[in-house]
Amino acid sequence: MSGESDRPGDHRDGWDALDDLASGYVIGTLSMAQRENIARRMSAEPQLRDRIDYWESRLHPMTAAAEPLAPSSRLWGRIAKSIGHGQQPSQSDARGAIGWWHSLALWRGIALGATACSLLLATLLGLRAFAPPQQPRYVVVLAAPQDKTPGWLIQASSARNLRLIPLGVQAAPPDRALQFWTKADSWSGPVSLGLVRADQSLDVALDRLPTLQANQLFEITLEPATGSPVGRPTGPVLYIGRAVVVR
Amino acid sequence: MIAPQPPAADHFDYDTALAACAVRDVVALRRLYEHAAPYLLGVAMRIVRDRATAEDVLHDAFVKVWNHAHTFDPARGAARGWLFSLVRHQALNVVRDRLRLVLPDEEMAQAIENDTALAAAAGGAHAGETRVMMSRLSICLDELDTPKRDSILYAYVDGCSHGEIAARLGAPLGSVKAWVRRGLQTLKECMQ
Repeated sequence: MSGESDRPGDHRDGWDALDDLASGYVIGTLSMAQRENIARRMSAEPQLRDRIDYWESRLHPMTAAAEPLAPSSRLWGRIAKSIGHGQQPSQSDARGAIGWWHSLALWRGIALGATACSLLLATLLGLRAFAPPQQPRYVVVLAAPQDKTPGWLIQASSARNLRLIPLGVQAAPPDRALQFWTKADSWSGPVSLGLVRADQSLDVALDRLPTLQANQLFEITLEPATGSPVGRPTGPVLYIGRAVVVR
Repeated sequence: MIAPQPPAADHFDYDTALAACAVRDVVALRRLYEHAAPYLLGVAMRIVRDRATAEDVLHDAFVKVWNHAHTFDPARGAARGWLFSLVRHQALNVVRDRLRLVLPDEEMAQAIENDTALAAAAGGAHAGETRVMMSRLSICLDELDTPKRDSILYAYVDGCSHGEIAARLGAPLGSVKAWVRRGLQTLKECMQ
């Protein structure tokens, strides 16, 4: 091989084409096209993936060469908003904000617990007749627009909680993501409910949205790996459906 | 010479944090952010060289952590490495993609990059002054001759392409490509 590897024992510590690919990817000198190519191959080629893991772990200590830098106070708020937890106060006092968040989680937990208890009690006592005016329950089937193949099922246990269940759909390509959207008739545009995975059910709380309504539109589009950069669908609609009331 | 320094104390439990993020524990994500964001922002900043872009990288990376924490497999490596790699590759994609947006053709892109790299070469600390934490890697890096070590640090830490490294070192592109590759080969032998 090259120049300075003329010492005995080289064959044991060999270097092969996988090292060229993996080390080039990890160290970062490859072009975008080459990077995308490797990202695509990684999921299908465990040997390549293992070699990348090898280089990642060996070169990782070099990250310590970068001086730490305090993020701006707005950054966490942006992240929280993007993952659907945007109901936080401004981050003028980060420590205080953490305490506040803890207590929010606590109160949510208590509220959920209380709801669960009252539901259980109502069922045990058979007091269905005395339950508040029944909330409509909704079901949505998301189907492929072309051939109407069902791809996802949405069950809404209440007008504020959805469960998105994949029905054996294809995963997004490695550099793309599936993004889940909804839009009621009266809204000006769709709202993102986050990125979803084809192999996983997802529970979504409609914290910041109006309650679910009949005929509300749901869709899943193909987007860049980190989701649509512009806050509305940019890629093709893979699955689409409307909410139906079940009695 | 690289001046080794003691490893930065980092006793944060990244594994537990990622496991909690995988089950949608937003408090765990917040703790992870509070602890790691300054280090990660530093890593991203060196690569994208722009504050706002570096914060965008971190934003996207933490959204990815939230959505993909369940794909982290402890058998494949350390949680800290997983997180830092995610941020590095996010940043590298940004700088590599910039050029492609303007020039889809790979060879033209390379040619232009070699020119623009000359202009960018003025900024940035000398790679030889970069401090790397004490580790097997730093010992092995120290054993490399200077051009190879500098080439590797410029690539990994500063996200430089071969063309940019050539401009910074005032060396031909072909030499830089060989230095990076041979340097990595020597590192691999040294770290066995």
